[in-house]
Amino acid sequence: MIDIIIDGKKISVKEETTILDAVKELNIEIPSLCHRPTVEAYGACRLCVVDVNDGRKTRMVTSCNYPIRKSIEINTQSERVRKTRGMLLEMMLSRWPNVDMIKQLAKEYGVTKPRFIHPLVDYSSNACILCGLCVNACSEIMWEDIIGFAGRGESRRVAMPFEKHYDACVGCSTCANICPTGAIKMIDDPNHPVDPKRIMKYGSKIADEMALMDEEQCDMRGVGTAHLAQIMNDYDLLPTCNYKFGSHKDAGGLHSDVFKHKYITQGLPDGCWLGCSMSCAKAVEGYELKTGPYKGDKVLIDGPEYETVAGCGANMGIFNPEFVLEANFYCDTYGIDTISFGTGMAFAMECYENGILNKERTGGMEFNFGNEEIGLEALHQMGRGEGFGIIVGQGIRRMKRIFAEKYDLSEEQIQFMQDIGMEAKGLEYSEYVTKESLAMQGGYGLALKGAQHDEAWLIFMDMVNNQIPTFEDKAEALHYFPMFRTWFGLMGLCKLPWNDVEPADNAETDEPAKVPGHVEGYVNFFSAMTGKEIDKHELILQSERVYNFQRVFNYRLGFGTRKHDLIPYRSAGPVTIEEYESRAERYDKQLVEKWSYDIKGKTSREKRDYLRKMRETDYQKLCDAVYKRRGWNENGIPTIQKMKELKMDLPEVVTVLEKNN
Amino acid sequence: MNKIKVGLASCGIAAGAKQIQEYIQNEIKDKKLSIALEETGCIGMCYNEPLVEVFSDSGQWLYGNVTEEKAEKIIEHHAQNDKPIKEWLVKAENIQTDDDSYFAKQLKIASRNCGIIDPTKIDDYISTGGYESLKKALKTPPQDIIKEIITSGIRGRGGGGFPTGVKWESAVIAAKKKGEKPIIVCNADEGDPGAFMDRNLMESDPHTVLEGLIIGAYAIGAEEGYIYIRREYPLALKRIESAVKQAQEKGFLGQNILGSDFKLEIKIHRGAGAFVCGESTALMASMMGKAGEPRAKYIHNVESGFKNKPTVLNNVETFANIPVILEKGAKWFAEIGSGDVTDNPWGGSSGTKVFSLVGNLERTGLIEVPMGITLREIVYDIGGGIPKGRKFKAIQTGGPSGGCLPESHLDLEVDFDSLTKAGSMMGSGGMIVMDDKTCMVDVAKYFITFLKGESCGKCTPCREGLIALDEILTRITKGKGKEGDIELMDNICETMKIASLCELGKSAPNPVLSTIKYFRDEYEAHIKDKKCPAGVCKELIKYKVNDNCTGCTICAKNCPVDAISGKPKEMHFIDQEKCIKCNVCYEVCNFDAITVK
Repeated sequence: MIDIIIDGKKISVKEETTILDAVKELNIEIPSLCHRPTVEAYGACRLCVVDVNDGRKTRMVTSCNYPIRKSIEINTQSERVRKTRGMLLEMMLSRWPNVDMIKQLAKEYGVTKPRFIHPLVDYSSNACILCGLCVNACSEIMWEDIIGFAGRGESRRVAMPFEKHYDACVGCSTCANICPTGAIKMIDDPNHPVDPKRIMKYGSKIADEMALMDEEQCDMRGVGTAHLAQIMNDYDLLPTCNYKFGSHKDAGGLHSDVFKHKYITQGLPDGCWLGCSMSCAKAVEGYELKTGPYKGDKVLIDGPEYETVAGCGANMGIFNPEFVLEANFYCDTYGIDTISFGTGMAFAMECYENGILNKERTGGMEFNFGNEEIGLEALHQMGRGEGFGIIVGQGIRRMKRIFAEKYDLSEEQIQFMQDIGMEAKGLEYSEYVTKESLAMQGGYGLALKGAQHDEAWLIFMDMVNNQIPTFEDKAEALHYFPMFRTWFGLMGLCKLPWNDVEPADNAETDEPAKVPGHVEGYVNFFSAMTGKEIDKHELILQSERVYNFQRVFNYRLGFGTRKHDLIPYRSAGPVTIEEYESRAERYDKQLVEKWSYDIKGKTSREKRDYLRKMRETDYQKLCDAVYKRRGWNENGIPTIQKMKELKMDLPEVVTVLEKNN
Repeated sequence: MNKIKVGLASCGIAAGAKQIQEYIQNEIKDKKLSIALEETGCIGMCYNEPLVEVFSDSGQWLYGNVTEEKAEKIIEHHAQNDKPIKEWLVKAENIQTDDDSYFAKQLKIASRNCGIIDPTKIDDYISTGGYESLKKALKTPPQDIIKEIITSGIRGRGGGGFPTGVKWESAVIAAKKKGEKPIIVCNADEGDPGAFMDRNLMESDPHTVLEGLIIGAYAIGAEEGYIYIRREYPLALKRIESAVKQAQEKGFLGQNILGSDFKLEIKIHRGAGAFVCGESTALMASMMGKAGEPRAKYIHNVESGFKNKPTVLNNVETFANIPVILEKGAKWFAEIGSGDVTDNPWGGSSGTKVFSLVGNLERTGLIEVPMGITLREIVYDIGGGIPKGRKFKAIQTGGPSGGCLPESHLDLEVDFDSLTKAGSMMGSGGMIVMDDKTCMVDVAKYFITFLKGESCGKCTPCREGLIALDEILTRITKGKGKEGDIELMDNICETMKIASLCELGKSAPNPVLSTIKYFRDEYEAHIKDKKCPAGVCKELIKYKVNDNCTGCTICAKNCPVDAISGKPKEMHFIDQEKCIKCNVCYEVCNFDAITVK
């Protein structure tokens, strides 16, 4: 902290604080036209000049960008300062005599009539005053450079390249929103919203949050979702060796810093669509492939995202970022999903290490965890439609069946495959360890499409922050979040800006996990776009109609009942003794505290078996609670009554459901 | 006669040296002479271009203002009896010429090889002891080199006057703190009208600039160097490019320079020619592919400059001095110049400074003088005084944003601090001399118009202040000045000076402030009496024929608008309605018969 004096008052500020930020505490007003907290201080209008005395001499500096580095005395209202601001305002007033904010400030500084005639006088009240906010907002908030300054000196003006309309502008309206004079107007929105201003208001709110907070929060613009790898590892949630463990000593190899500083080459916006202020898609350019049909070629790799880093890395026992990149490239090239590939390979590797597979069955490949060479060879086999790759490529559910049918396996081995085969409803698990979060087990198991986390991601709420302790609490979360997140699908919106950047005051709200500030935004987007006023309850109802319809659809096709919501035990607790012992302290404690189980003299096997019984029972209890909350019967089928409430009692729906009732 | 050298820097080429070279080549071929024809840069005598130097058994003979006819005779003369043609000589070893006084008070350090060696040949540079300082440097610990540079007291020749060694030291400290390698950049973006110091150094002796840059890189620990040079300097660009290539081939650049661990890669960045890009932060923005706009320098370039890395930026001339400082020692350098830099590099201005001396002078060209020389010595002893018997009126130093100093300041010592104190500045070294036919209000307006066009327009005071000054000066020169205009301009200038973002904006009001300070009466004559005392501002003057008229008709013949009438041998008459005040009649009249009032 540095002691400074501002207008005679002494305060302490952090080093590098700007004067403009420092005076806020003292309620001192310094005029400024070109500064906003969301863009880097530009120092162009010069109205925020103040006198600074550093003990040696007094000089005039701009308070928006002058960093306080030593004990100084600041005078924000000296005669010289006021005179200078007055002269600057006289210059501005001569050029833009009808711009309100200039007129008003000029008046405050005693300037009413300029003493010279400006050759470029612009009488518009919406004149562009060259403050640069729009240009800097486009560049810094949106990471685009669609508008910029053209010309210099007296011909300086804001323009698109070559002063022609530039197609890359999607009309995100960030520039129009930040413009202090209204010089930039949205004249046409191709989406024809009912209330474009309202859309602009809430849209720019998220854009501002990205500009201000992303770097400290999730760094989505810097590294994308890959920032999660180290967080998951720290919380013991990073799937390692087919979800056996949640962290690894070598996980640093997959740290986002490694990707950010060594591989990701684009310091540019790389959004899925132009105009996205989050722009979390990343790319590695000029990467030289080491295997496969394009060996030796330098290629561009789109990614990697977190799921790829975890799935094609830690979950296969591999911590080499270049393996991840190579697998990422070839999965994309062959049209293979990186999650299914990573989780499927992890399953095959564990089967190999437990004798279900052997070299003969894999076509000579040593399918151990951590074997990078085999990992890529299997991928290329999948691509070519050859060898053992064909079997792995069919996914875990088929692999389980094929291994059981083809090889002479014991009952115990078949059960083991069921326990460690990380799929639900035939879909491979995405990359989170759910063992210690019952709610998240439900998040995966009760998701309609299979084991995907995009309906509900409750690990932090449940396990880390313990915000939903009871079955009813968890059921409420497993009602609200899947419904809320289904809404993104209904609207064709990306979910990431909902909670991968959060408002500064989010933690102080009643329900931070829901990010109420952003829910309000989505309600407003809908209303402003369509003209139909909705509230946050109606938003959930919209999803509920679709969600329940989908469940009925699944049911009609022979799925969508309680037995289909079952999950492999690996996702609920330790399957092997090794796994139990790796976290024995935690499990022992839970056995004693939660289930009053006397662990004295018990073997790990006994303890593991008892834990399993308890956890499997808990999962069933969770299903009971969730079905109840969702208005489904005990077999997990929506009731006719529920469909009536939702006004979704369509004749076909009723026919299907009547069969059950 | 063994060898002939032709000066082929831009100034020589502009005066026709290329044709002379071709002519001599043909002569040699036609007459089957065994004479080597070589080229060199510019020795600084622009007023004597084209320059041709003859190397013969009788000595070295430099001829000026050489035409094809003269060249033919010179070759003939030397071929026949090897005797110089004295009246055409401008410099010779044992014969005095009128031009000797041009060199008498000069001291050449940075430009020591200009016009002497062949700039296209690295071996020519090496034969003068070139790259010996680099060899010496590589055997010296970098911190000792920085100490040596600090001791020499050399200050930035680009105009800032910041002690070079201190800058280097700060970059080393910042780089260590940030854990990054610093970057070194040579600022070759010379953009002042009438200034060509850097251009000539690069055209005439590119290797000395390069050697200084390499030594600087070694001293601060940079492995990446850049030269920012404007495209308007095609020849300088070509010379620098070829110098870099040659230095690479000789192992002065690249990996393991001269067998040491030191490596350096130099890239050349071509600027598009904006005046503001000479400002360090704008230059770096331009190098990063952005618009050339300055930023606030509260965080210095030595901490965060090019690519946000610690960056040292020095001017061409600064680098050109470095090899000589290392060769002859810091003490030797510190003793040249004014003030005392022994313990404090701010204590004076050591060494020499290259100036481009132009304007109403007998002799114009590129000069290098020890700091502390007076303006009078430059104007009269070197420049040969004002031609046509006119009187000295003002000298502008420091380029367009420098100030105009009057005759009373001619005994001012030329160094960083004295010039600033007098309301002008050293700048990069432009020097324009004006005679009594110059209107100082018009001069101020000329420079303000130039600056208005070159201001980047980012900050309010520079952009709007220059527009306002231009507007006010225009109305004054049109006889529409108002009471209070001088005070108003004072106010505007003061705001520009203290509130502008970069040094360009801060110094832009200098032409106005200095002319108001020293030539206030001229402003008042324009505003109050609606008169232009120097007879320049068209709307305030009239051209009249006086009694001296002999009726020679030359004025009437040359008048572009047929405003002059009169019979031969009778007094002529100017129709004021038609006259566009183009000054042609005044210029062509041989009898002083045109009065401007």
